[in-house]
Parts: sequence; C-alpha cells; structure tokens
Amino acid sequence: MSVFSFQFVIGALLLATVFFYLPGLFIRRLVLATCNVGFIWLCLPNYQSWIVLGAFVVSGYLVGVVLRRLPSSGILATYLLLLVAAFLVCKKYVVVQSLLPARVWDYPIVAIGLSYLLFRQIHFLVDMMQGQIDDVSFASYANYQLNLFGFLSGPIQRYQEFHQTWANWTPLLNSRHEILIAFVRLYAGLLKIAFSSVILWMFSHERDFFLSDPGLEARSVFAVLLKFSIMFYCYPIYLYFNFSGYCDVVIAAAALVGIQMPENFDRPYLSRNMIDFWTRWHRTLGLWIRDYVFMPMYKAVAERWSRQTAVLVFPCYFLAFFLAGVWHGSTLNFAVFGVLHGGGVAAAKLWEVQVVRRVGRKGLKHYLASSPIRAAAIFLTLNYFAFTLLFFPHDLSTTRIVLGHLFHRIGA
Amino acid sequence: MSDTKSELQDIFRNVFADDELNLTDSTSADDIEGWDSMMMINLMIAIEKKFKIRFAAAEIANLKGEGQNIGTMVALIEKKTNRR
Repeated sequence: MSVFSFQFVIGALLLATVFFYLPGLFIRRLVLATCNVGFIWLCLPNYQSWIVLGAFVVSGYLVGVVLRRLPSSGILATYLLLLVAAFLVCKKYVVVQSLLPARVWDYPIVAIGLSYLLFRQIHFLVDMMQGQIDDVSFASYANYQLNLFGFLSGPIQRYQEFHQTWANWTPLLNSRHEILIAFVRLYAGLLKIAFSSVILWMFSHERDFFLSDPGLEARSVFAVLLKFSIMFYCYPIYLYFNFSGYCDVVIAAAALVGIQMPENFDRPYLSRNMIDFWTRWHRTLGLWIRDYVFMPMYKAVAERWSRQTAVLVFPCYFLAFFLAGVWHGSTLNFAVFGVLHGGGVAAAKLWEVQVVRRVGRKGLKHYLASSPIRAAAIFLTLNYFAFTLLFFPHDLSTTRIVLGHLFHRIGA
Repeated sequence: MSDTKSELQDIFRNVFADDELNLTDSTSADDIEGWDSMMMINLMIAIEKKFKIRFAAAEIANLKGEGQNIGTMVALIEKKTNRR
C-alpha cells in the first residue's frame, strides 16, 4: 500500500474526522494500534514477513529494557551486529549473497519498512542505554516502530517525540485555520506526487533514449546534450516532488490525529554545500547520521588521537555518508552514491578549513555573506547532487551505458 | 557572569581560536561561524574534560537543536555537576 492510494487517503481522512471524538486515551491508542496493524497488513504479503518484523520489534524492545537496567556497550554492540546482519540478509544485499547458500535467498520475505525500523531501533537502544528514555512500555514502543505515518519511508521520528503524544493524546491543531492548513498540505502533497510521476516519465524517456535509441549518432551534439540535461535535472526534480510530497501527506495526516512528525525538507536545492544539503534534504536521516554515526565516531577518534582531529574528521565524514548511501539500497550503485556523498561532505569541510586558513574566522563570515559566492555555491551543490543521482535510480551497468553513449557521441 | 558560563567562555575561545568571543545566554550555534558537528564534538570533549562529566548522544543532539543556546548548555552542565 502506498500513501498515494485511494485507500490511504480515505482512511486518513476518516481517521482524522473521528479521532478526537473517541473517548479517552486507551481507545485512541487502541484505534491507532489497529490502524497501524491494518496498514502493515496491506503492505506485507505473507506471514514470514510478519515474523521478521515482529522479531525486529520484540528483540529491540527486550534488549532496550536490558540496556536500561544494565548499560553495557558490549551488549549493545553484539545486538547491533546481529541486527545489521539480519537486516543485510533480509534486504538481500549483494555483498552477503555470495556468503550464504543459494537456497537461503529463495525465502519469500518482503523487507518493507525494515530500513527505517533499523534507524529507529538503533536510536532507541543507544538512548535507553544512556538513560535518555525514562518512560517506555512495549505498547508505546511497538506503535512507535509501526506508526503508519512513518513506517514506509520516514520521517525518522525520535521515540521521545512519539511518546509525548502516546502519553497525553491531545489535538495538535487547535484552530480551524490550522486544520485547514493541514488538509491543504495533504492535498498539495498528493498533487506533488502526481506531478512527480510526469517528471519521472520525462526522465525515463530521455534515459531510454541513451540506452537504446538507434538514432543517437544521427543527432547533433547539441541535441544529445539537451536530452542529457533533461535527464540529468529531471531526476532531482522528480525525487524532490515525490519524496517531499510523500512527507507532506504523512506529516499532515499525522498532525490531524495529534502526532507531530518531524519535518524532512527545508529548501534543499538552496544548500550551499553538501554539509548544508544534509541538514535540508531528508533532514531526519541527515540528523540521525550526525547524531548516531558521525558524532560518536568522531568523538571516539578525537578522544584517542586528539592531535590529529583536523585530519581524522575526513574519514569520519566519508564513512558516515558511505554507510548512509549503502543503507539506501542493496546494490553496488548505492555504495558509489554513498562514496560520492561522503566525498562531497569531506570536500565542503576541507574548503571551509582552507577559507578559514586564508582569511580567518571573521573573513569566513564575510565569505559566507557574499551573494555571488552563495549563488555559485548553490549552483555547484545542486549540480553535484544531480550528478550523484546518476548512480541512484538504477544499477551501475545502466549508468555506464548512459554515460558511455553520451561521451562517445560528444567525442565523435 | 556565572562561574560555569565563564569557564565555558574560555573553552569556546580555545576551541574556536577566537579570543574576542563573548557568550551570552542567548548565543546559539547560528551566532558563531563554523559551529558545525565537528566543532560541537570538539566543544563537548573539552567540556567533558573540564567539568568531568559525560554527555549522551541525545543530549549532544539536543544542544544543537532549534531553540537551544548557551543558557540551555549552562543549565545542562550545572545539572550534571550538581552546581545548582
């Protein structure tokens, strides 16, 4: 089931209409829990997938309870290792496929929702171990993990935020105007998703031209470059409208039933570098990587080798975003995507260091305030992101064919 | 200026290599150029050493969140060191 479906929209509107007429906290929790299970029921095709999902959620909760009573990095590390290994197997990652017998890969598990569940689980366990979660029950944790408004593709909500609603469920929108805005946002999100499908068609059309069009040689270089430019820019436009449209729908629908989901986009194509980009694009993922991968990793490195921090920060950036890239999908193109993003983030930091070295911190302030520099930085960042997306929607061989045909025609 | 804030100001000046840096309760990450994730961790390590405390991942994340400033950082340090 997709949020861009008749069932989801009608279901969300019905739920929003009746939810705050429901008497008492218990009934509201029960109704949300029922909707969560119903939603996932429509997403998962078989009982094996339910067993995997249940094992992830139940084990995460139990280990979380143990970690709160007995904070131990060893227990956390061991469980996370097993969890990530299970995740790689369930998602059928290319790198693990050669390690296990072929019959293992015939199982009918559909790993919908596991990617986001993994991030929420890691955050929950770390925060439980570090004493940052005071109040938890299995019901609240299970509904946090299976919350239909973030189950498929985020945003990645933190447990503490969800629990605030769970503990005291009151309307989030307190005026007719706020409710109207939420409905408008929901419909606008649907329109954005619909529009994105047109852009995706344009992208696919131009990509197929580079993959199979026999008339490539007959076209002028200008015509070929124009077609490539359309393909190059259509995918970022498609991705923004599709994903931000999805987020508009789920954030607005959640707000109508009193759940505040975190915002996921903040004008990402106005970012001035790749560090800035990840605080604006898929923000909840960027912030999760910062909080639970980059910062702990860099802190551990900086505490151990305090004199080399200025150099060691770069592998930390690289590794954090490489992992983020690999998380996006199970094939090698996502590893390339991650490496390019790690490189982009590291390059942005290196550039800032050079600017500070040349003009000092006060000079950096003037540099950042300059409009022409800002415009150039936005242009470069947008184009770099569009370039990385050449490795996002399809496998490496497809990208190689597209780029090969392009360079062959230009060079001819 | 409280003892905690005064000690914090010394740490900030040292980490950001800026002797003219003056902290107020309302100073936030937006007011100090270059206060990114890396500098945040450098700050946290220096603060942890100075005050002999440890920050959780969620606490560090919150300190960089919206509406957070030096006032909330001082309050967290004082809570952890029982200075209040």
